[in-house]
Amino acid sequence: MKDFLTGNHAVAHAVKLCRTPLIAAYPITPQTAIYEKLSEWEASGVLKGIMMRTESEHSAMASCIAASLTGVRTFTATSSQGIALMHEMLHFAAGCRAPVVMANVNRLLAAPWGFWADQLDSLSQRDTGWIQFYCENGQEALDTVIQSYKIAEQVYLPAMVSLEAFFVSHFMEPVDIPEQEQVDRFLPPLDLPHKFDIDKPGFFVPVVSSELYRKYKHMAQESMDSVKEIAVKVDQEFKEEFGRGYGMIESVALEDAEVALVTAGSITSTARLAIKNLRKQGNKVGLLKVRLFRPFPVEAIQVALKGKKKIAIIDRNLSLGSGGIFCQELRATLIHSPDHPLTYSYIAGIGGTDVTPEVIQKIAMEVMSRTEPVDKPMWVME
Amino acid sequence: MIEIKFRGRGGQGAVSASEILGRALFLDGKYPQCFSLFGGERRGAPVVGFLRVDEEPILLKCQIYHPDHIIIFDPSLINEDEILQELKPGGMVLVNINEEMDFLQSLRKFKIGFVNASLIAKDTGVGSTLNTVMLGAYIHLTNLVKMDTLVEAVKTMVPSKMEENIQAVKEGYRQVKIFEVEE
Repeated sequence: MKDFLTGNHAVAHAVKLCRTPLIAAYPITPQTAIYEKLSEWEASGVLKGIMMRTESEHSAMASCIAASLTGVRTFTATSSQGIALMHEMLHFAAGCRAPVVMANVNRLLAAPWGFWADQLDSLSQRDTGWIQFYCENGQEALDTVIQSYKIAEQVYLPAMVSLEAFFVSHFMEPVDIPEQEQVDRFLPPLDLPHKFDIDKPGFFVPVVSSELYRKYKHMAQESMDSVKEIAVKVDQEFKEEFGRGYGMIESVALEDAEVALVTAGSITSTARLAIKNLRKQGNKVGLLKVRLFRPFPVEAIQVALKGKKKIAIIDRNLSLGSGGIFCQELRATLIHSPDHPLTYSYIAGIGGTDVTPEVIQKIAMEVMSRTEPVDKPMWVME
Repeated sequence: MIEIKFRGRGGQGAVSASEILGRALFLDGKYPQCFSLFGGERRGAPVVGFLRVDEEPILLKCQIYHPDHIIIFDPSLINEDEILQELKPGGMVLVNINEEMDFLQSLRKFKIGFVNASLIAKDTGVGSTLNTVMLGAYIHLTNLVKMDTLVEAVKTMVPSKMEENIQAVKEGYRQVKIFEVEE
């Protein structure tokens, strides 16, 4: 059924459709609408699950982990300071191999205070062991939450679905809400091989020896690596059931492109229009969308960007003292490229500043005329 | 693509008007996109809502700077310089106004609608929320949505005083004074 929804409400629909029995959350702008919608449905009986209104995001994640270890599907949503407060528990979720799914509405981190779009909140959790997706609109956020359960529950790792504040969370657009029967066909009930059982008391998170810890981490790394393959398969199954697929990355007009732009999140959507405009003007510019960030789809990106001479990465985030985080990952990915492409880092959209098609076109044209490498990130200050 | 800016004060229903109109366009099979500048919503404070609509899905995920239509819910927020600067050539303006029409001479190069929305809202019993009156007037000015579709959207989106709100839409439509572009 098609409806006219915000990205936040699209996410809430996904959680309801996945029949998630346990939602533990703490409200924070701009995620609150997810929490409110699920609460409203709980009150009216539409939602079959339970909402736990915890006293903090740290407790929300602890509750999700504990519930997940009893073998039930769990969900939480957060943003910004909320995900920062969760940090310790994020490591625990991955370490306990709990397939928790979380929506993170990308909001800048204080100080100074603000509510605006910025990917640093989730990107600074990149080493916590969570699968991470970045979505460009509400439809993709809804679909990715459903896909995330299916992926996370196969590899026993938690998954995070990121959508930017305002540009996705608050933009109201037509969204196709899948039928319950379709989601039931696509997503089987959760059946974890190991779970807490009141009748057979058990124990999680023991102290381990160095060797066991190393072995454990190695196994987790192998599971995380397998996500690249499993996520592709799940995306294909999703496409067969729902008619929509996204890939882990997406190439747009890259074949003959002299300049390849790389984006993640909502800037990708606007960039699609910028690419159309640039092509109309006869400029050979293409686009690579990065949807999966953890694990980073290294091999797929190497293939997609093979032979490209100039690449510009647009980051709505900043690692102080280094630069754009997607750019760091991309440069590492291309380190062994035989043709050594020139990679340019652009910081645009920080703190929710606007990234229009004109801004993206300007970046592309600037890169067209560049011939020398630039190590430092270049700030778009319009 | 048509881009619309809704300017009002918190409590007047400018943002909800953008959502009701978006819903009506959605019911018409169009591709609307609604958003508001968030962060400072409170009663009485200036608020801005936006709506884009097109025949195909909208890819833009950025702000609107030069709308085709501007709808102003509060007479105190009429800023002629701002409208002249922002509105696209050939654009239209709808204002809630309770004074005579020789006002806003500088804007007569645009098609313009005047409606005494505050009075109509009071008379029809909807109170101080102007969204339904303004939308009735707006669809008369622009012909963007049919009356039936707008009423259907109002029915799904307005939480209370349904009959009064539908009456408000119709009165807004009927009472708006429309001035074509002056050469």
